[in-house]
Amino acid sequence: MSVRRSSLFLTVDLLWQGAELIADDCSLIIPTPSYFVAKTQPDYPVAPSYDTLGTRLGATDLHGCPLHQGLGRRSGDRMRILQSLLVGIAMLGMAGSVAAQTKPPLPAEQVSVNRLPAQGPHWVYIFDEALNNEIDARVVLFDADSHRTLGQIDVGYWANIALSPDGKTTAAVTTYWSRGSRGIRTDVIEFTDNATLSVSGEVVLQPKRLQGPITPFNASFSPDQALFYVANLTPASSITPVDLRQKTLLPEIDTDGCVLAMATGLRQVSSLCESGRLLSVTLNEAGHETARALSEPFFDVDKDPVFVQGVQHGSQLWFVSFLGDIYGVNFATGAAHFDAVWPLVSPALRGQWRPGGTQTIAVQPYTQRLYVAMHKGGEGTHKIGGSEVWAFDLKTHRRVGRFLISPQLGAVGALQVSQDADPRLYVATDRSNFLVLDPATGKILHVEPKIAQSPWYLFNP
Amino acid sequence: MTQRSRFDGWLEVATRGIAQRTSRRSFLAKLGMVVTGVTALPLLPVRRGALAGVAEASDAKGVDDPNACEYWKYCAIDGFLCACCGGTSSSCPPGTTPSPITWIGTCQNPGDGRDYIVSYNDCCGKTSCGNCFCNRNERERPLYRLSLNNDANWCMANDNPNYHCSVSAILGVAEK
Repeated sequence: MSVRRSSLFLTVDLLWQGAELIADDCSLIIPTPSYFVAKTQPDYPVAPSYDTLGTRLGATDLHGCPLHQGLGRRSGDRMRILQSLLVGIAMLGMAGSVAAQTKPPLPAEQVSVNRLPAQGPHWVYIFDEALNNEIDARVVLFDADSHRTLGQIDVGYWANIALSPDGKTTAAVTTYWSRGSRGIRTDVIEFTDNATLSVSGEVVLQPKRLQGPITPFNASFSPDQALFYVANLTPASSITPVDLRQKTLLPEIDTDGCVLAMATGLRQVSSLCESGRLLSVTLNEAGHETARALSEPFFDVDKDPVFVQGVQHGSQLWFVSFLGDIYGVNFATGAAHFDAVWPLVSPALRGQWRPGGTQTIAVQPYTQRLYVAMHKGGEGTHKIGGSEVWAFDLKTHRRVGRFLISPQLGAVGALQVSQDADPRLYVATDRSNFLVLDPATGKILHVEPKIAQSPWYLFNP
Repeated sequence: MTQRSRFDGWLEVATRGIAQRTSRRSFLAKLGMVVTGVTALPLLPVRRGALAGVAEASDAKGVDDPNACEYWKYCAIDGFLCACCGGTSSSCPPGTTPSPITWIGTCQNPGDGRDYIVSYNDCCGKTSCGNCFCNRNERERPLYRLSLNNDANWCMANDNPNYHCSVSAILGVAEK
C-alpha cells in the first residue's frame, strides 16, 4: 500500500478509526493531527494491510489497542455505508459541476463607495463612547426602518456631540494627539456632512473643552446655526462661542462655576449651576456678551438633584430629578420660566422606583408623550439602566404606558424617540442591544445586537 | 441614604459660594485650595459609603479584595480599577501619572470598623485600561456639583488627559 493516499480517503479512514476506538472502549482516543501524521508516515508503528479502504487486518493503533476486533464485527456494514456515501458525494459533485457550467458566470465586480439614501424619518445617531479604548469614540448612523447600519462618524477622544437644527451636520467636539494617545494635543470641532458622512470642516479650540458625561448640552448650535457653543471645564467652567460664518473663536464666557452650554435663544446660552439656578448669557450679533441673568433655584440640589441629560425642543426644556420629578423650563420670552413640577412616581413608590441610565428621558412633540427609563432601586442607583420604559402624557401627566424590557436584552441605558408624526421609540441597552419599539404599545419591532461598545446616547436629526 | 454629612455640607457651602461670588480664575484657585486642604485636614466626620449601606460586613463578598468592585475603599469609585491594570488600589500603573485634582469619599473599613477619608484619583497618560470596570455611585451627584461627581474626566488638568484607570488612596481616619 501507499502511505500517500488521497486526503479524502485519509479523512474518512481517520473518522472511521476514531469511532471504532471509542466504540470498543479500549480508550477514548480522538483522532488528532498527530495521529493523522503518524498514519501518513512510513514508520507507522503498526503494519496495517490496506487492500481497499477500511479493510485492515491485524491492525493496532498507536496505543496497541486492537482495531481488528471491531472491524471484524462491523466492518462490512460500515464499508457499505461509506462506499454509498462516497458514491453519493461524487455524483452530487458531478451533477453540481455540470449545472454550474451551464449557467453564465458571475460578472466581474468593481469596488465602489456606497452613497447614503435621502435622510429618513427614523435615522438615529448612536454615540459610542468606546469605553475600553476611549480615543476611538464614534457615532453610528442607524436606520430604524431598514434596520441597517448606514455608516459611521469617527469622533476621537471622549467627544461631545451636537446635531445642527437643520439635521444636515454633526458636530463633534473632541481631542486628538499627534501620536495616538500622546504627543501634541489638538482640541477641535469637527463638522461632518450628514449626507456623505465626510468631514466638511473644522475649528481648532483651546485645549480646555469639557470631558464629562455625554449630554445634549456639552455643545450646541444657536437656532440659526450662526454660532456654536462649546462647554469648557478645566475644572474652571466657561463657554467658548464660535462664529460658524467666519470659523473663528469669540471671547470666552466665564460661567462662574455653572456648567454646560444650552442654546436657549437666538443669541442666548445658558448653564446649570450648583445652586440649582440657570445662568443665561445674552450675546450681541458679533457674539460678544452683553448681559447675563441668574434665575431663582428651580430644584433642590441637596434633596433631589436633576440629571444633566435633559431634553430640549426649541425654547422648552425638560429635566428629570433623581426621585422622578419633571422640571419644565421655558425660554420663549428670553428669561427662564418654570413649569409646575410634576411627579413620575406615586407617593407610595417614591424613592423605590426611579429614573436611571445615561439618557433617561425623551419627548415626542406630536403625540405629546414623555418616555423615561425606570428601575426599582434606592440612593446611588441613578446610573443603573431601566428595567422598564414608562410613557406619560405631557398634558395630563398621567402614565399611559409601561413597557417591560426583558433582562436578556439588558437594561435601558439610553432612550430616545423620533420626532416625526409616525414615531419610533429607540432604546440602547447596557448589553449593547439597540431596540426599535412602537411608542404607543411598547411592542419591540426590531432588535439590533452589538450596535456599539458603549452606546450611551441617542441623537435625533 | 437620607442624611447628608457635615463634610458634604461644608463642601457645598464652599463651592456654591465660589460659584456665585467669584471669577473663573479665582474659582480655580480656591478649588485647588479645597483639594489640597482635604489632604491636610483628613479628620472630618464623614462616612459616605457606610451611610449608603456599603460594605458593612467584613465577610461580604470582595470587600477585602482590591481587584473586586466590592472592595471597601471603592465606595464611590467610577472607572477601571488600577489594581487590575498594573497598579494597586492606591498606586498608578507604570508609565501613567496621577491626577492632581480629584473627588473624595469616606468609606468604612470592615476590618477595623474605622471610617477612612478616601481620595479617588485617576491615573492618566495612557488610553483606557479596559479591565475591572467598577461604578459605585453612593452620594455621587451630577456635573454641576463637581466635587461630588465621578463622571468628569479627572485627568482633565493633566498634561496628557487620557484617562487610564482609577485608584483610591486613604487620606486618614475620619473622626467620629
